[in-house]
Amino acid sequence: MIPFLKVALSNLFKKPSTRNFPAHNVEAKPAYRGRISFDGEKCRNCGMCVKVCSPAAITRTEIDTPEGKDIKFEFDLTSCTFCGMCQDFCDEKAITLTDDYHMVATDAKDLISSGVAHITVPKGKLVCGDDCVYCTLCAKKCPEGAITVDRAAKTWSVDHDKCTKCGTCVSACPKKTLSFEDPKPQVVALDSEKCVYCTLCAKKCPEGAITVDRAAKTWEIDTGACILCGKCIDNCPKKALSFKDA
Amino acid sequence: MFKKMVAASAAKSPWIYHINTGSCNGCDIELVAVLTPRYDAERFGFKLAGSPRHADIVVVSGPVTSQSKERLIRTLEQVPEPKVVVTLGSCPKSGNVFKGSYSVECPVDKYTHVDVSIAGCTPKPEAVIEGLYKAAQILKEKREAMNK
Repeated sequence: MIPFLKVALSNLFKKPSTRNFPAHNVEAKPAYRGRISFDGEKCRNCGMCVKVCSPAAITRTEIDTPEGKDIKFEFDLTSCTFCGMCQDFCDEKAITLTDDYHMVATDAKDLISSGVAHITVPKGKLVCGDDCVYCTLCAKKCPEGAITVDRAAKTWSVDHDKCTKCGTCVSACPKKTLSFEDPKPQVVALDSEKCVYCTLCAKKCPEGAITVDRAAKTWEIDTGACILCGKCIDNCPKKALSFKDA
Repeated sequence: MFKKMVAASAAKSPWIYHINTGSCNGCDIELVAVLTPRYDAERFGFKLAGSPRHADIVVVSGPVTSQSKERLIRTLEQVPEPKVVVTLGSCPKSGNVFKGSYSVECPVDKYTHVDVSIAGCTPKPEAVIEGLYKAAQILKEKREAMNK
């Protein structure tokens, strides 16, 4: 009787256990996975988040700009499972699942987190230097599976069609031997066997860099003035002109 | 005068009907947790109704499986106007990880107008309270519009 009364009395003077929620905001527990925030400045468009997202809640829209590409990322929170895989797989830590759980909306558009990443795509191809130790880390990190490394045979190769030049491998390489090579300088070269010295190329050149002497059968190009526009190549009736490595 | 009294009391007593359309039970548990003393949605007058005919707010959870589609439509038809439809979690709005499955016929938007969507997988009980509170406000507006 007495212990029962003790409990009854102490309960009588206790505060109610109800959380006074809308009046007093309740913080989510640490590491709660709520509304996604995306930092476009950090993103380099490797596409790993899109690949690991099981409900396919992430969409990418590419817009070409003079500097490179603008990529809009949209995270559909009405589709998300809040598993946190995109955050875990993002090497650049551009994606964070915040502790904001107030995700209530009358319009579904309010439940989309989005951000724009500005990407500069390197012009040159991916190359591997001499310091390579064939650790296979680049192949493991590549979101497109474009790199093949054979540890035993000590070979490294890349499928340039698959490579999106995101640069994940370059920053993953422990030996810093991966890089995007500078595009090789090019010049317009003439195949003198095909040329009939019609002077069409000289006429079409916007910079006046080509001089053709019909009588003497000579063809000259001022490589300093040439802007590599390719108009001469397109207009050559005999297909005698082409780009060549300098 | 009597009508006004009824309207004023009805606004403070929105009854909920919960329909599970193939949910994993996560959202259902959280909705029930909202009615427990810790979160106590009954402070705002929310009460779980046993029949859709008594309900004002319909809470839908789950990705609408082919089996439950007919039942969902039938249940929604039984709810008297004005009614407010609330989707709980990601599944009813998009299908979540089940989207594209042969047995899932989401979203709920195909069958009815969704007034409030609560995102989360599962939503925190506080978010559910927020969503229900918003739904009650919409219900009040709808009832006022109907009585005019």
